Amino acid sequence: MRGDPIRLALGTRFSQETYDALRERSGLDLPLVQQYLTWAGRAVTGDLGVSFRSGDTVTSLIGERLPATLTLALASLVVALVIALPLGMLSALHPRSLIDRVATVVSQFGISVPDFWLSIMLILVFAGVLGWLPSGGYVPLTEDPLGWLQRLVLPAVATGVVSGSVITRFVRSSMLEALGQDHVRTAQAKGVPTRQVLTWHVLRNALLPLVTVTGVQLAYLLSGVVVVEIVFSWPGLGQLAYQAVRDRDFPVLQGAVLLFALVFLVINLLVDLLYSRIDPRIARR
Amino acid sequence: MRTNRLLTLAAAAALLLTACGGGGESVDTGGGGGGGGENVLIAAVSAEPDQFDPHVTNAYASFQVLENVYDTLVVPSAEDLTMQPGLAESWTTSPDGLSWTFTLRDGVTFHDGSEFDSADVVYSFRRIIDEELSNAYRFATVADVTAPDPRTVVMTLTRPTPNLLELIGSFKGMSIVSENAADEFDLQSEANGTGPFRLGSSDANATVLTTFDEYWGGAPSIDGVEFRYITEPTSALTALRNGEVQWTDNVPPQNVADLEGDEEVELGSVTSVEYFYMSMNYAVPPFDNRDVRRAIATAIDRDEVTQAARFGAAQPNQTAIPEGSPWFLEYAPFTPDEDAARQLIEQAGVQTPLTMGLMVTDEYPETVAAAQVIASQLEPIGIDVEIQEEDFATWLDRQSEGDFDAFMLSWIGNIDPADFYENQHLSTGGSNYQGYGNPQVDDLLTRAATEPDQAARKALYDQAAQVVVDDVSYLYLYNPDEVQAWAPGLTGYQVRADSAIDFENVELP
Repeated sequence: MRGDPIRLALGTRFSQETYDALRERSGLDLPLVQQYLTWAGRAVTGDLGVSFRSGDTVTSLIGERLPATLTLALASLVVALVIALPLGMLSALHPRSLIDRVATVVSQFGISVPDFWLSIMLILVFAGVLGWLPSGGYVPLTEDPLGWLQRLVLPAVATGVVSGSVITRFVRSSMLEALGQDHVRTAQAKGVPTRQVLTWHVLRNALLPLVTVTGVQLAYLLSGVVVVEIVFSWPGLGQLAYQAVRDRDFPVLQGAVLLFALVFLVINLLVDLLYSRIDPRIARR
Repeated sequence: MRTNRLLTLAAAAALLLTACGGGGESVDTGGGGGGGGENVLIAAVSAEPDQFDPHVTNAYASFQVLENVYDTLVVPSAEDLTMQPGLAESWTTSPDGLSWTFTLRDGVTFHDGSEFDSADVVYSFRRIIDEELSNAYRFATVADVTAPDPRTVVMTLTRPTPNLLELIGSFKGMSIVSENAADEFDLQSEANGTGPFRLGSSDANATVLTTFDEYWGGAPSIDGVEFRYITEPTSALTALRNGEVQWTDNVPPQNVADLEGDEEVELGSVTSVEYFYMSMNYAVPPFDNRDVRRAIATAIDRDEVTQAARFGAAQPNQTAIPEGSPWFLEYAPFTPDEDAARQLIEQAGVQTPLTMGLMVTDEYPETVAAAQVIASQLEPIGIDVEIQEEDFATWLDRQSEGDFDAFMLSWIGNIDPADFYENQHLSTGGSNYQGYGNPQVDDLLTRAATEPDQAARKALYDQAAQVVVDDVSYLYLYNPDEVQAWAPGLTGYQVRADSAIDFENVELP
């Protein structure tokens, strides 16, 4: 990656002596290998170093933003599932019906609409014209539960709509696939009540791909949704990582990337564990 | 147990009702960032400060806060940016110009209650010099800083430095901190200044200042300031209209016209001393050719560039500094003229069409817009402009490596010409990335740097500026307007040409 964090930190006017002094203080004068090994050695003990810019420890910077990111990710997932499950199921049960077409249009809209545009529209309508909700910001739940909820709604909808649209498509296609299977036809022929066929024979089989895609969406939400965070002034990890890239604040960037990698690993593990609960055949293998 | 639960439910329901009951009127703004009290100004700023050590940071977002927390020995006046008494009440210069004696203000206290005296000044300046901190270059001609008594500071110089006041007072990077502050406080997150507000808490949402009752200039009438970080202008302006915030500087130029007729918003605007410019690389032919550079300067229509980049919220200018500054020079030798430009290219004997890479950065989005207009203006004279948009880190790398044909950027906070001419147009200037070298300019700038007489000094800079403009060392484009918006009824606030944000005298509606 090009870009010199020292030059960025010093702006346009500085002397060579100042440049050298700051470079030394930041440890950037050391050989790259040594810098990396020092970092890796400390990282295994939980010490992710210190930001070039603020002088704060990377763990404190991440710790400060983690609650906001967790809150937004989980709320967005709830919004996504509330949209995706009914919409996807209904359109699978009634393929090519009016509801199916509506669902297709809605999910196509959700996937293709730029999230910054959707966010700004939400602000202009709900904060601007109607004045129902604040235009952004974040308050911890413990400090002001109502303010927390008010500020959470719009960003959760903005990200939830996008994720929900992706998941809707998966729900529909995996339900359709499950519906077309032989054992479903057999069950229906045996006269098993429709409701039971759906919950036991269709939904359970359709759940596997759904869990996978939901896991991926959750991991994506947890790694920060930069644009939505910026528009709603939501102090999440996405903004932190984005600013670290712009500032070439490598310790912060490395810390964030490490965390995102861990998030993906853990979620994949959880998804795998869930598989065996949903489909006992996987556990037996 | 059951009653408890019912009570909680009822309370929650009541809360929800109150929240919805507001209708279009207002929304709950409490709690955000921990700011308390009715009489706190909530200001929406576009970025989060990186840290609060005034001697280390270079972030504008940090200085927006620090402006209200710290003081300097002298301070630029809001009207014309001439230097006024700050923590120094008065000063005298020795006849040879090599010694400056400052008499300090009496009865000034730091936020921790300690008394301000000359030892604090010596400590602050020595800290910057000895640790080679960001602004050490401002002390290049300072040999020593001493404190003969608690009310007096003497600065001895290696050569006369008529712009010493600007060097030590033009912005809060030269703040006076208390003696040993770096040992007693964590200056990256704490502050011990003498300004009207104390630094309170700061998190990823907001920075909160509280009023300092012992402030030497008289305590502000508001109880504090909360700086909220709102990057997206639409969000900031919506928050202002909603009453969530009472002030913002996050006003993009394209919104200015709309806001002017808006009764819910009061708009303040002043032509700032910042300037946007384009510069060409003297090491890359044909841009080493004066006629080619002059052809480009003749082909560019600054009015059109200003319209596109700033929607008119700027003053086109062929020199650095806008009218109103004591250093303003009325000089505009170029009139947009396609034929004259083509003639100059011919005269230079350069083959057209030729390609010019124009490096711009999304850090300053208006440079991207300006570059598109410049590209369309240069096309008719046979110059094919290739716009190279880089992120700022890469941009700076390429600039310092000389890896460019031409670039655009801005300089901010230009108060004294020594600062914005020497760096950029002296053949040895630290920011002379274009590689300009003209012995006449070197001579004029070197003489001006030590000329004690203000009028004579201005005459020297005027001469130098004319040569710089004629040679097209910089192709100056415009001075942007500093535009800020606040709630109607907010008083005691003034938009400043140096873009400093001072809330000392603000009164809320």
